[in-house]
Amino acid sequence: MIALLCVAWTCAAQNKIALAATKQQTQQEAKPDSKMNAKQMTREVIDETGRHVAVPVNVQRIVTLAPNLTEIVYALGAQDRLVAVSNYSDSPPEAKSKPHIGLPMNPNLEAIVAAHPDIVLITTEGNRRETADELARLGIAVYATNPYSVESMLESIEHIGGVIGATAQAESVVANLRQRLNALQSKLASVPVARVFFVVGESPLISLGEHTFIADALRYAGAQSVVRAKQDWPQISLEEVVRLNPDYLVFASSDFGGEDSTAKQLAELRSEAGWRELAAVRQGRVVVVSDEIDLPAPGLVDAIEKLARQLHPNVFEDGAQHASLRRLAVFVPVRAHLQSAVSQDSCREAFACAR
Amino acid sequence: MRPLTPRRIVAICALLAGVLFIVVVFSLQVGAYPISVSDVAMTLVRGALGHWNGIPSSDRLIVFGLRLPRIALGILVGAALSVSGASFQALLRNPLADPYVLGVSSGAALGAILALVWLPQFPWAMQGLAFLGALATIAAVYFLGRRKGQLDSTTLLLAGIISASFLSAIIMFLMTTVSGRDLRGMAFWLMGDLGTAPAIGLGFLFFVLLIGIGAIYTTSSDLNLILTGEQEAHHLGVNVPRVKLVVYVSASLLTGLAVSVSGAIGYVGLLIPHVMRMLFGSDYRVLIPASAIGGAIAVALADTLARTVVAPTELPVGAVTAAIGAPVFIYLLRRRFA
Repeated sequence: MIALLCVAWTCAAQNKIALAATKQQTQQEAKPDSKMNAKQMTREVIDETGRHVAVPVNVQRIVTLAPNLTEIVYALGAQDRLVAVSNYSDSPPEAKSKPHIGLPMNPNLEAIVAAHPDIVLITTEGNRRETADELARLGIAVYATNPYSVESMLESIEHIGGVIGATAQAESVVANLRQRLNALQSKLASVPVARVFFVVGESPLISLGEHTFIADALRYAGAQSVVRAKQDWPQISLEEVVRLNPDYLVFASSDFGGEDSTAKQLAELRSEAGWRELAAVRQGRVVVVSDEIDLPAPGLVDAIEKLARQLHPNVFEDGAQHASLRRLAVFVPVRAHLQSAVSQDSCREAFACAR
Repeated sequence: MRPLTPRRIVAICALLAGVLFIVVVFSLQVGAYPISVSDVAMTLVRGALGHWNGIPSSDRLIVFGLRLPRIALGILVGAALSVSGASFQALLRNPLADPYVLGVSSGAALGAILALVWLPQFPWAMQGLAFLGALATIAAVYFLGRRKGQLDSTTLLLAGIISASFLSAIIMFLMTTVSGRDLRGMAFWLMGDLGTAPAIGLGFLFFVLLIGIGAIYTTSSDLNLILTGEQEAHHLGVNVPRVKLVVYVSASLLTGLAVSVSGAIGYVGLLIPHVMRMLFGSDYRVLIPASAIGGAIAVALADTLARTVVAPTELPVGAVTAAIGAPVFIYLLRRRFA
């Protein structure tokens, strides 16, 4: 009997904790609302996953839970309001010095709370739904983006611009990116589409499905993935790659160094049984692109341009100086106010060509 | 060993509860966000008295919104896993039995994943299917573990290990073939994760676990007899089939619930009952409450480590329990047979 009492007692001790916790949850939901109204105005927006979010009108403190979101916030010129970022936020390099809140898949909620964010930006392409739910439970505004294509990435930039109060900046960034994509499209209009096998991971060999933003990015670069899969990141056997017989193999690398890394990758593949039998490897049709292509952020357009250049060198043959001059000629009449951005971009292009 | 008196059981429980209290206070105080012990105490006292407005809002969010629910979840999961481990060890008369080794955790995980795939809109489905998965697995393992009508210890363990790897293969198959973003965090969840508050609520979880542990506790005297042999227990007037049914269903319920809210956390169910046996003797009347509190201490402590050792990044708590549990288990094993 007393033994039973003992069990009941210890459980009661646990109960107190559990009850206190649940009681607090209900109170929390009621309290911060009234407090927040006093502190700052909020407005309701619907994020890209259909969640209703009360976003402060005046966003002063931003936390990003994925590297691509960090890059977008920098592109929007809001880096001074960015108080914490996820691990692996390496682009732009300045972002590395921001306080970190852990891995996108498993961020430290305490560190996020401690950063006192007005808004937390997350992405379905790397964060978990549970994280969004937990933060929402704590009364923190969470805006989720859902980048499944290049176009939706551009829309995400506009949405984030709207949410953090950088609409004009977002419009000009997106207009610039659209111009560059359109210019690329018209340039590639007449070339045959390259059939590529995109390598997301080498062991195990992982490629991409039709509904990923990288598959879409390949289309913008005048290429098409030979893998037809409904899954986003399917595992593919080398045998299947032989059967698909792609024109090009495309690798993404963080130590992207143009010719050198391509040559290195090719030499590596030629030494490996299986890989060296592929027609693309035998004929040296291997391309290494910067790992910017892995991130749905403005740098994706840079990666698309570089990839297009490597896949369709004939179209870009007429030299660096000419290319930059012609690009200016194309852009300037269309949008005069983009000139500074365009010339910057052309310099980068010229640099890439010179390399 | 001294005779077991009610006074002794209470003393043991009080001692363990005291340790648990210290662990909870320690766990409340450490983390990525620095809070001093006095601030934690102030926050708790003010919270207990209902003076919510007196607490700085971030302290309140950290202590009541994040740490306390997480610790409470760890306590509940630890108690459930440890008690179900102790029960399986008695029922199968095998000191190596535990929900993880017997494949019951894998069965529960498969049930939970199927619920996520088929019925993502119902949070209850996850707990329900996890329970059914646990129950089906223990039934299958029990059936496979019999040889010539007798429960064979080695066959049973092998059946459990094989079931676990078979179920893991199905889980892997589902994870690689089913497309859907919600499954992406699953690899993480499978390693054990207490960072997500359960959809069914802590209060309800506590209530069901209390029923499960209580039901097992009512059979503790019978379990002592069953440990000496089912025939002998039967002759001493124990209704063996009834006791076994109650304990199987309750232990499966405990495992299913624990896995559905926290993923598979290994070694707790195996190790804690052994430690408690060494400390307090193998009488199930003391072993079950002691295992419950001991499991709570172990998981609360392991989770505190998981969220602090590489802060701000967090480890899966299952990795921590395995990293500590495996060497400790080997040590206990060798000491026992030395």
